[in-house]
Amino acid sequence: MNVATPSVLNLTELLSRVDNDRELVSELFFIFKSVFPSHLQRLRDAVAKELPKQVATESHALKGMLLNLSGVRAAALAADLENMALEGKIAGMREVLTGFQSEVETLLLQMESIESQR
Amino acid sequence: MKILIADDDPISRRLLEKTLRRAGYDVVAVPDGMAAAEQLCIQDGPRLALLDWEMPELDGPAVCREVRKKKDQGYVYMILLTSKGLKTDIVTGLSSGADDYLTKPFDSGELKARLRTGERILHLEGRLVEARENMRFKATHDSLTSLFNRGVIVELLGREISRSRRERVPTAILLCDVDHFKRVNDTHGHRIGDEVLQEAARRLLLSVRSYDYVGRYGGEEFLIILNNCDPASAPRRAEEIRKSLSDAPVQTSVGPLSVTLSMGVHQTKNWGVRSVEELLHEVDVAMYAAKAAGRNRISFTKPDVSSDAECLAPTEPAQSLP
Repeated sequence: MNVATPSVLNLTELLSRVDNDRELVSELFFIFKSVFPSHLQRLRDAVAKELPKQVATESHALKGMLLNLSGVRAAALAADLENMALEGKIAGMREVLTGFQSEVETLLLQMESIESQR
Repeated sequence: MKILIADDDPISRRLLEKTLRRAGYDVVAVPDGMAAAEQLCIQDGPRLALLDWEMPELDGPAVCREVRKKKDQGYVYMILLTSKGLKTDIVTGLSSGADDYLTKPFDSGELKARLRTGERILHLEGRLVEARENMRFKATHDSLTSLFNRGVIVELLGREISRSRRERVPTAILLCDVDHFKRVNDTHGHRIGDEVLQEAARRLLLSVRSYDYVGRYGGEEFLIILNNCDPASAPRRAEEIRKSLSDAPVQTSVGPLSVTLSMGVHQTKNWGVRSVEELLHEVDVAMYAAKAAGRNRISFTKPDVSSDAECLAPTEPAQSLP
């Protein structure tokens, strides 16, 4: 199994939290892939419209999901967005959002890679 | 054990659901706070709950507050799930009525350990409630027959007479005495006497409606209150109760014994200003009249009173049924 980039998705930690249940991991990946696009869209809209409350809500929800999946780096960026929104720091949000999207794309690729090796 | 999971994050919800099912819990999973509060406030709902802090409509602390408002149900042990780690957040969560909190992403070992703590608290609460109920039962019921004890049946009579006066509905008071009970004790011993009393109590209870009252008034005396007892049907119902004992012998350890009752009955909705003690005295006089008339029969007090003067006048037994 390819776990060359554990900082993107820490599979070892994830497996230990689900009692090594790989089927459950697969199910969680599936749920994430299903719900992520709508959350991302709402987050993009909120950032574009500079609505800090909505940014905080969406980034908080994404942070929770990513932490549960051990997507540490993407979760950290979602947390940055949430904190910026809570502090009302509109400037810089777009840049962090771009980084977040890129990180999640990498994460999704890693999920695909893990799935293909099952 | 039934447990509620409330989390709007489908990943977290599924993760918790699978972890807890594997640990043997009966899981109810809901996606928002409103559904959680609803589940936790229903009769026989889950008594253990994992609540996400941030949820649409009602957040975790608000669910805790809603549940704690309900005083008339068993304790619900609630754990807040949070990614908030600040002390002020924790204080806010616990102040809302939560019992514990767990930081996301949770460790399954820690989660199960905290739930076991909750189960211990609920188990302890269950034992306390059971002990309280046992004490309440012992304080209100006769230990031999499990009927209401004297204090309670007399108090119930007082309440029922007040209701009868207020609502102008008839009530019947029946005082029953087991005939020749001393002879049973003297011949067969107190253990057999106790068996007779237990069986008599059981039959009396079976012969009344669920909302009537039966209590042990004295040694071998039982007091029965028939609520909303229509005047025309009172003699028939008293007769059914008398026959419930006389129709079939009581099976005891020394074999079947014939047991009968003598009964005094007071039935009216015009109670005047007489006290419960006076009414009990009148029905006692009627019961002794039934004894004097040959036992295993019913004697009625004067059926009605229409003025205070009549209320206070001595009441003569009006008739005796064989």
